Amino acid sequence: MSAFLQAVVSGLVTGSIYAVMTVGMTLIYGTLRTLNMTQGSMVMIGGYVAWMVFDGLGWGPILGGVAAAVVGFAFGVAIQQAAIRPLIGRRGVDFEMTAFISTFAVAIVLSNVALRIYGARSKAVPPVIHGRLHLLEGISVSWHSLVMAGIAVGTLLALGGFLSKTRYGLAISAVAQQLDAARLMGIPAQRVYNLTMGVSSALAAIAGVLLASVFFVSPNAGDLPLLKALIVAIFGGLGSVRGTILAAYIIGLAEALVSLYFGVKWSLPLLFLSIMIVMLVRPTGLLGKPEEARL
Amino acid sequence: MKGVAARGNLVDDLGWRRPNPVGVAAVITLAAVLPIMWPNDYVIDVGLTALIWMILNQSWNLQLGIGGIWNFGQLAIFAIGAYSSALVSIHWGVPGWLAMLIGGLGAALASLIIAIPVLRLRGIYASLLTFSFAEVVRLLVISDQSGVTGGTFGLSGVPDLAFGGLTPDARQRAYYWLALALVVATAVVIYVFIHSPLGASLKALRDSPGYAAARGVSPMRMQVITFSTAAFIAGIAGGFYAHYFGVVSPSVMGLAPMALFVTMLVIGGLGTFAGPMVGTALIMVVSEYLRDYQEARLIILGLILLVTVVVAPRGLVPALQDARARVQRWMSEDESPIDAETSTGSETGETSESPVSSSKGER
Repeated sequence: MSAFLQAVVSGLVTGSIYAVMTVGMTLIYGTLRTLNMTQGSMVMIGGYVAWMVFDGLGWGPILGGVAAAVVGFAFGVAIQQAAIRPLIGRRGVDFEMTAFISTFAVAIVLSNVALRIYGARSKAVPPVIHGRLHLLEGISVSWHSLVMAGIAVGTLLALGGFLSKTRYGLAISAVAQQLDAARLMGIPAQRVYNLTMGVSSALAAIAGVLLASVFFVSPNAGDLPLLKALIVAIFGGLGSVRGTILAAYIIGLAEALVSLYFGVKWSLPLLFLSIMIVMLVRPTGLLGKPEEARL
Repeated sequence: MKGVAARGNLVDDLGWRRPNPVGVAAVITLAAVLPIMWPNDYVIDVGLTALIWMILNQSWNLQLGIGGIWNFGQLAIFAIGAYSSALVSIHWGVPGWLAMLIGGLGAALASLIIAIPVLRLRGIYASLLTFSFAEVVRLLVISDQSGVTGGTFGLSGVPDLAFGGLTPDARQRAYYWLALALVVATAVVIYVFIHSPLGASLKALRDSPGYAAARGVSPMRMQVITFSTAAFIAGIAGGFYAHYFGVVSPSVMGLAPMALFVTMLVIGGLGTFAGPMVGTALIMVVSEYLRDYQEARLIILGLILLVTVVVAPRGLVPALQDARARVQRWMSEDESPIDAETSTGSETGETSESPVSSSKGER
């Protein structure tokens, strides 16, 4: 029983991080209709920024997170300008397919540039806080993962406030709901695209900082998070923020339980298999709307 | 288009370009004499690999480009073909030719597992389902400890095709010409497929699924036909790969090789007939030139992909065709301004063999 509860606790922690990393992906799909493959690269870049700040400059973890968010934002805007913007409105081109491929190309370039700069050896980032919190008998959680989960949930709440309360957040929601109507109301779609890419990439970079101390930072540190984020995003329904957060926790829990009962080796194949089955039952994910309804 | 178009124009409007027989013959001859003109083991080996990838990419293009079905599981299908072909020839001593055929059939059967479910999904969702399928196959092979597939290290000792009595050099050339023959055969099959009513219905389903279905094109039937045809071709390519290299390992699947093949397809031109072959040849040449700069290789390939997608999203082949059409129009304008006026209608960009995007893709 205590092993089960332990798995639930760790599943909730990973679920929170998945949520931070994937919400950006779903926001981008909602506004830009692009499945952003650079989301994993942002996790990797966030990790490297954290490593440089901790290791090189000796600054505190909070500054590391802020620096990663700023760098992520800048990268996101740059990628939007270079790889997505030129494709918008091209005639005779399937936008979703080409934008997917162009962000994929950026992801290949970024991870290989990181390989050139930092080398293939992975870098260790020390955890922020040491020690464990004992919740019940036999169930404990390290303070570090608790802080991680706290930061993740805080980021998600801030994002929710940003999207529903502020001027720019509302602009993002408006463009996601109805592009033409949003434009008619005078919302500058291009600026919203930049903002969305920036915010989403910053979120992924923050997730990268959080993950950096659990896993090591390496040039392909973004591959597995990208795969997980894809699964979570599509499971939750692309474009639905609530569905994504729900899906992140479900998948975090499922993963923890599968590793507990079947072993870590089986967690990914079983995850894929169950996603295949889920998609056959609900072809647009948990809370995703059918394509026709969104057009 | 202004009112009535002559039948010849109509054929052009549908993008049914007639291949230039002289050009095709020249390219095939050039490819065929390469091992004689340049008798270097390494060059022939690279050429052979390129030919195998050409077969695979053509089959993938049938789904991804012409069918507009986001299938990212084709590498698993290729691997299934390779493994089944290798297994029957290792364990049952089936002759190589028959084993390749069995590989193709095995791949076609496996593809039916994903063909039907994918029908329910659209665009990106389909890509994840197919990619998940590929990952499940890859991870199952990697974690296989029963010794059937050889796990991570792969399956080695796949017997040769029936080239036993030949010297190593002659054997390699025989393989090369066989691969070339397979590429040509695949091209003919794909060409006939695209230009048959089947191909027209496939494109119709891509461009407007609802309308095509309303006009009597069965999505289910087309899906099964497209998937099994593409998988059969990929399976044959897989069988050939297994028999030539003598090894199959799970490293033929996964994100890294997929990135390479997607680059080849996109640079050549998704959804065009010649695109996959041109793209494969180009990328093979470029990556051979970059062999000495191993670290920069993927950066440069990624940049090439990015620039191509941004500058010519439909690929090089349609871009060059457009450019040629523009030059011809410009030249005919010089000769007779009135004729040029009428001919522009049938030759502008939108008539070329491009994946005319469905409305959902346009922003």
